[in-house]
Amino acid sequence: MADKDIALMAHLMRRAGFGATYEELEARVANGYEATVEELLNPESQPAIERDVLMRYQPQWVSQAGLEGQQEEWTFRMINTKRPLEEKIALFWHQIFCTGHAKCEYPKQQQIEFDMFRTMGMGNFEHLLMGLATDPAMVFYLDNCMSHKDAINENWGRELLELFSMGVGMDGHANYSEDDVKECARAFTGWTVTNSVPRYPYGKYEAAFIYDPADHDDGEKTFLGETGNFNGEDIVSIIAKQPGTARFVARHLYNFFVADEPQVPAWQNTPPRDPEAIKMLEDEYYRSNYNIGSMLSVLFNSDFFKNARFTKVKSPTETVVSTMRLVGDFDMPKPGMNAMTLTIRYMGQDLLNPPTVEGWHTGREWIDSGTLVERINFTADAVGNTSHRGVQNIINRLASEGETISPERLVDGCLEMLGAYELAEVTRTELVDLARNEGELRTGTEEFGQRVGQMLQSIVATTEYLFA
Amino acid sequence: MTTIQPMRIPYVQLQYSHTIGRGEQFGPGFSYPIHMARGEDDLMYVLCRSSEYRPEGTRIAVCTVDEEYVNAFARGVPQQGPHEYNFDDGSLVWPVTVAIASNGNVYVSDEWLNRISIFTRDGDYVGKWEEKVGSGDGELDRPAGLAIDADDNVYVVDSMNHRVQKFTPDGKFISKFGTHGDGDGEFNMPWGISIDKHGSIFIADWRNDRIQKFNSDGQFLMKFGSSGSGEGEFNRPTDVAVDNDGIIYVADWLNNRLQVFDDRGNFVGLKTGDATVSKWGKDKLDANPEMWGERERAQGLEREKDFWAPSGVEVDDDGNVFVCEGPRNRIQVYRKQSPTFMGPRL
Repeated sequence: MADKDIALMAHLMRRAGFGATYEELEARVANGYEATVEELLNPESQPAIERDVLMRYQPQWVSQAGLEGQQEEWTFRMINTKRPLEEKIALFWHQIFCTGHAKCEYPKQQQIEFDMFRTMGMGNFEHLLMGLATDPAMVFYLDNCMSHKDAINENWGRELLELFSMGVGMDGHANYSEDDVKECARAFTGWTVTNSVPRYPYGKYEAAFIYDPADHDDGEKTFLGETGNFNGEDIVSIIAKQPGTARFVARHLYNFFVADEPQVPAWQNTPPRDPEAIKMLEDEYYRSNYNIGSMLSVLFNSDFFKNARFTKVKSPTETVVSTMRLVGDFDMPKPGMNAMTLTIRYMGQDLLNPPTVEGWHTGREWIDSGTLVERINFTADAVGNTSHRGVQNIINRLASEGETISPERLVDGCLEMLGAYELAEVTRTELVDLARNEGELRTGTEEFGQRVGQMLQSIVATTEYLFA
Repeated sequence: MTTIQPMRIPYVQLQYSHTIGRGEQFGPGFSYPIHMARGEDDLMYVLCRSSEYRPEGTRIAVCTVDEEYVNAFARGVPQQGPHEYNFDDGSLVWPVTVAIASNGNVYVSDEWLNRISIFTRDGDYVGKWEEKVGSGDGELDRPAGLAIDADDNVYVVDSMNHRVQKFTPDGKFISKFGTHGDGDGEFNMPWGISIDKHGSIFIADWRNDRIQKFNSDGQFLMKFGSSGSGEGEFNRPTDVAVDNDGIIYVADWLNNRLQVFDDRGNFVGLKTGDATVSKWGKDKLDANPEMWGERERAQGLEREKDFWAPSGVEVDDDGNVFVCEGPRNRIQVYRKQSPTFMGPRL
């Protein structure tokens, strides 16, 4: 099995999922790259997570009433799912189509939205936008329930254009005008939600989307150059066919799955990092009738993707989830779920609760002096724990290579096991020196496991390991 | 010719009585009441599971059937550090079932600690069985249901060993029955247990979606139920209770209902919930009067009646049937109506 095949598979699994153990990478390489992409794009081919068992041991995952519990539930899913891209695409859309707990205050309502991302997130983009426009959490979060035919609230109409579909502009020009925002908001009047049952005494109940024709502005509107008595679904159809939408979706997919782009507000005047790649994705958007899965298929099978290793800073969620998958911890519910999940928040990503509707700034903005320390401490703590199944597998695998191994092999072997990571030569040399200074590496000793753990800790503390 | 069919009413009739509870971590109220047991007089011992992030709500709340709060005891375990806990005696992590012995002592099973803890009726800690984790005789792997027979022997549903074990009150192994599988007398992650007045043992065979009945020696007697959502079918039944007339009540967890069966396991009826605002609930709403207004405006308030994931069912000698609904922080109480004709006239 060629090292380059493992390295490529590790890259795919980091991006389309949350990483994989070396054993899983070997199995997937044996299946082939294209077959793996196909499997990831068709999550229903793999078994769903067994929620009954989870809910038995974590009953708060039934009620979905508390932010912490719902963060735990999603994190657990991401760690243990056999359908990694299903969860990754839900995370992708959550980072774009933001709703926040600080306002919604009912995680189950957001969970319903995430289930929509899971089922529709790789389908037709126009349908997904319709799902979003009728999602009670979003209708409430962006105040469309407060938008009336005699007094529009532009919040949803504006963010639909600016943050959810087209972006403010591209190639130096604006994609829409202020009048388009107002007309868009008018078209969505009457799209509202039911009044909710208060929290006391028995907890909340999920709200439902309702359309109130009496509160809908049925007058003529002109939107993006088209005129008619538009309702919300007409607006979504017009949006879906805009070149700005194709560009926006393509850049977001590229930014999330391929390589860090500038932050979204800069996209009007900052050209894509790889214009040819974006053009390929835009073309597929139209060719496939706005199908996200088809765009992802093009993306994962492209050279621009395959050549983009370690060009993205891992998000806090990716950092924690991939570490747990690697070491094999939390493969069943157990105490400590809450503390483990909270580290994602401490690293700067409070799932279900983004700082604003704009979501989190990504790429290098994930890292500051505080979050960096949190990241390194968490990952080093996990990979240095030689009682974890995944760490033991790494130790055993390296130990099987002979009675002793060289310092160079310890470093390179650990890098392979972590997912074919690569270090700058100066860093690698320092780690080799470190291993050499600690003395001979005899694999049959208890000390060997500790030294492997220490080497893994040193590697996850490098700059290179911040990247995926 | 039209044939007139006589109207048939099942001979087992449950009439909704009242609801007890509201969401609270302290004082009057519950936090995920997973199970309960009836104590002496009018007392109820309600096992509140709560969650890891609200360990202060993990406790046994004591109240009366008329919803008078008495006290609370036992406690959840806050995390001390990244991998540090203090699982002191008397603490609860994943408590599942509560049962009461003839002397009033309160037994609690804990699936995480693999521990059976014992408290007095007033909540003072008595002790625990020695934790022996494993699959040998007397060893436990995630103890779930608990039931105490007329001789104060304790039956423990040893869920991950897929069996039931019988112990003396102080935890000495007596016997066992059951193994992993889906045949007669086999289990798949069983949960709840009940012993009827004849000493027969009923087990909620959770992942086999059925109820099994055994004699007191653990010999298989009968089974009923299969996977599904129709009458007499189950979706992960969590608990079973049997009243003095032999009527069997099953908490049909993921079907969100209570099902009722006769002593041969024939389906008799079901309830999907009838909750009303409890006494404690009314107090809470009176203290937050804007919520009365919100309730008046709320669409779909009728959903408040419905069971949501009922996990515990208990009966008492007064004909009360208690259904614990963790996610709604409440217990719905029904009364069984007597089939004996009592009226002076038709």
